[in-house]
Amino acid sequence: MAQHNLGTVIRFEFVRTVTKPRFWIGTLSVPVIMAIVFGLIFLSNTSSSTAAEAQRNAQFSISYVDASGLITPADAAAFGATAAASSEAGIRDVRSGAVEAFYEFPAHPENTAVKVFGADKGVFENGKYAAVAQAMLARAVAMRIGSPQLSNLAAGTVQVETVTYQGSEVAGGMNSVIPPLAFLVVFYGLVVLLAGQMLNSTLEEKENRVTEMILTTLKPTTLITGKVLALFMVGVVQVAVFASPVLIGALFYRDALNIPEFEASQLVFDPARMGVGFLILVGGFALFTTTLVAIGAVMPTAKEAGNFMGVMIALIFIPFYSVSLVVSEPHSPIVQVFTYFPFSAPVTALLRNAFGSLGIFEAVVVIAILYVGAAVMLRVAVRLFQYGSISYTSKVRIRTALKAGSRHAVAGPAEQ
Amino acid sequence: MDEAVVHISGFRMDFAGTTVVRDLSFDVRAGETFGFLGSNGSGKTTTIRALLGLYEPTAGVLHVNGRPFKPEHGSRLGYLPEERGLYKKEKVMDVMTYFGRLKGMDRHAARQWSLAYLDRVDLSGKAATQVDKLSSGEQQKVQLGVTIMNRPELLILDEPTKGFDPVNRRLLMDIIAEQKADGATVVMVTHQMEEVERLCDRIVLLKDGTSEAYGTIDEVQNRYGGRVVRIRHSGRIPASPHYAVTLDETNYAELSVSDNTDEAAILRELMDAGVVVRSFTTTKISLEDIFIRVYGEQNTPSSPVATGVGMRAGA
Repeated sequence: MAQHNLGTVIRFEFVRTVTKPRFWIGTLSVPVIMAIVFGLIFLSNTSSSTAAEAQRNAQFSISYVDASGLITPADAAAFGATAAASSEAGIRDVRSGAVEAFYEFPAHPENTAVKVFGADKGVFENGKYAAVAQAMLARAVAMRIGSPQLSNLAAGTVQVETVTYQGSEVAGGMNSVIPPLAFLVVFYGLVVLLAGQMLNSTLEEKENRVTEMILTTLKPTTLITGKVLALFMVGVVQVAVFASPVLIGALFYRDALNIPEFEASQLVFDPARMGVGFLILVGGFALFTTTLVAIGAVMPTAKEAGNFMGVMIALIFIPFYSVSLVVSEPHSPIVQVFTYFPFSAPVTALLRNAFGSLGIFEAVVVIAILYVGAAVMLRVAVRLFQYGSISYTSKVRIRTALKAGSRHAVAGPAEQ
Repeated sequence: MDEAVVHISGFRMDFAGTTVVRDLSFDVRAGETFGFLGSNGSGKTTTIRALLGLYEPTAGVLHVNGRPFKPEHGSRLGYLPEERGLYKKEKVMDVMTYFGRLKGMDRHAARQWSLAYLDRVDLSGKAATQVDKLSSGEQQKVQLGVTIMNRPELLILDEPTKGFDPVNRRLLMDIIAEQKADGATVVMVTHQMEEVERLCDRIVLLKDGTSEAYGTIDEVQNRYGGRVVRIRHSGRIPASPHYAVTLDETNYAELSVSDNTDEAAILRELMDAGVVVRSFTTTKISLEDIFIRVYGEQNTPSSPVATGVGMRAGA
């Protein structure tokens, strides 16, 4: 009978959340903001490429000196540039307004900067001087090489395809990292978006004095389990809504948004890594939710409970301070601590799992830690809720509440 | 023997080392209205919470329908707790339907019942209104509706009239009467003695966490000096084995008569002692008098009536 009324609780909690206008205002505001940002990127990319093109083709009066000997008169003429008598003369011409730009090409431009002097046209338009100087030099080098193919190779525009092997099998590379890494993104999304709701989920019963009536119709375990599952469903809805503009952008506006090329068909879905990622995601979510519910159960008001939310959020970001270590040295002591400490384990283990450095034994241990931790926290949360939620106005002493299982109760004389 | 819907035996409850209820025993029989009386802090709410599984008892047996109460057993319980509230940000119909579902009704039945109830209490237009947009009195009506959904076989009302306006108090009384007529067993936790005298068949009176009196109202009244003689007089009231002086002012006195002594004999005894009696009336002792006497004991421990007269509940 453990599931008595569980479905009713899940339905009530889920429906009442997703039918609230404020839920959709909050949820839709994120994709709307993302759409606005994408729009700005689109406009910016369009105008940037136009500006870059314009800068390369900009027509303005130029004088130059060339110590390298690479720039031929023909190269200079292609840009309308004329040779200056000296650097001092070139700079003087710029300052007097006789020319708009003066370039000083050094003897060794491969390791010495080309000096550009120009009439100030504003921060953005000034970029045209450097663009044209680079174009002049590039043209001169290309003409000297005499082959567009060799010119491209000299410019380093070489495509490389890497194939690595795990044993005899071809390793997936980044294409195998992306799918399991999605679990980390979902985990962050769920916890960051729902932490407040998790914390306040049982406070509502307490603040509204509904606890006693509710607990005569179902077990506290059922209530809390139902709330956790409903929150998970709410989180999935939110993540789906948030992801929608990214998917739309990737599918229909990839070029306009400068989204890097990748073929979805190239993604490698390693069943083991995907399975481990899913289990860590669920276990981590359950652990954080039950912990936040337990905190909420002992606090008399949402305001007081809110002080603890920052701490919980910080716990999931701490592993990111050592993300390079997590990826490059997964067996270093600090990464091992983060891997097995319950509240940093989800993020660390999901990262390592995505990058393929989480061994199967480690994965089993981490999953066990998360699920056992979640079960323990659920029990603690239920106990604290059962006794704490009837202490309507006072903060519950945790030790006393937990001892309630050994035939003690926590309410004070005022509630007799 | 009547079937006990509620059976409490040897119940003890400790809070952080302090015993709040000790060795409490009583039964509530099927179909009766039972008064659970006591002053603030006497352990009434604690007992109800332990009975309903909200607290774990330190010791004792607390049964509903022959076993410890568990929500999943499916007992049809209507519980109006002392601390009241509803989901304030939800619509009235949603809250009522939710509780109906939790109490075992299907969605359609819960909605139909709720609509009929709201119509009855003049809230038919408020089904789609958010609870916190209702007035306090309207919220009380909704709370009552939630309490009696799904025809409770056991109705436990903790301080039922607390905070209720007169209109809702009348509604509550009507509902209690209806539920009783419908076969429900009603437990009223209260210190409103008038209501108890009017509605209850039997009572238990708690004091200092244990039973001070237990039985039918008549039994309790008889045990506490079934009759009160009120006299206006001059002269000193003499001591007597037939009565106890519970109040003695300059020209007014109250005598508690605890046995079958004839009123005429008492009057004769007073007059023989030189007391000039101007008026002499006899009434049954009220529960309020008993209540005041029991709890007044704490201030006047040598009260002649209280000593040794109260009976312990149990058996």
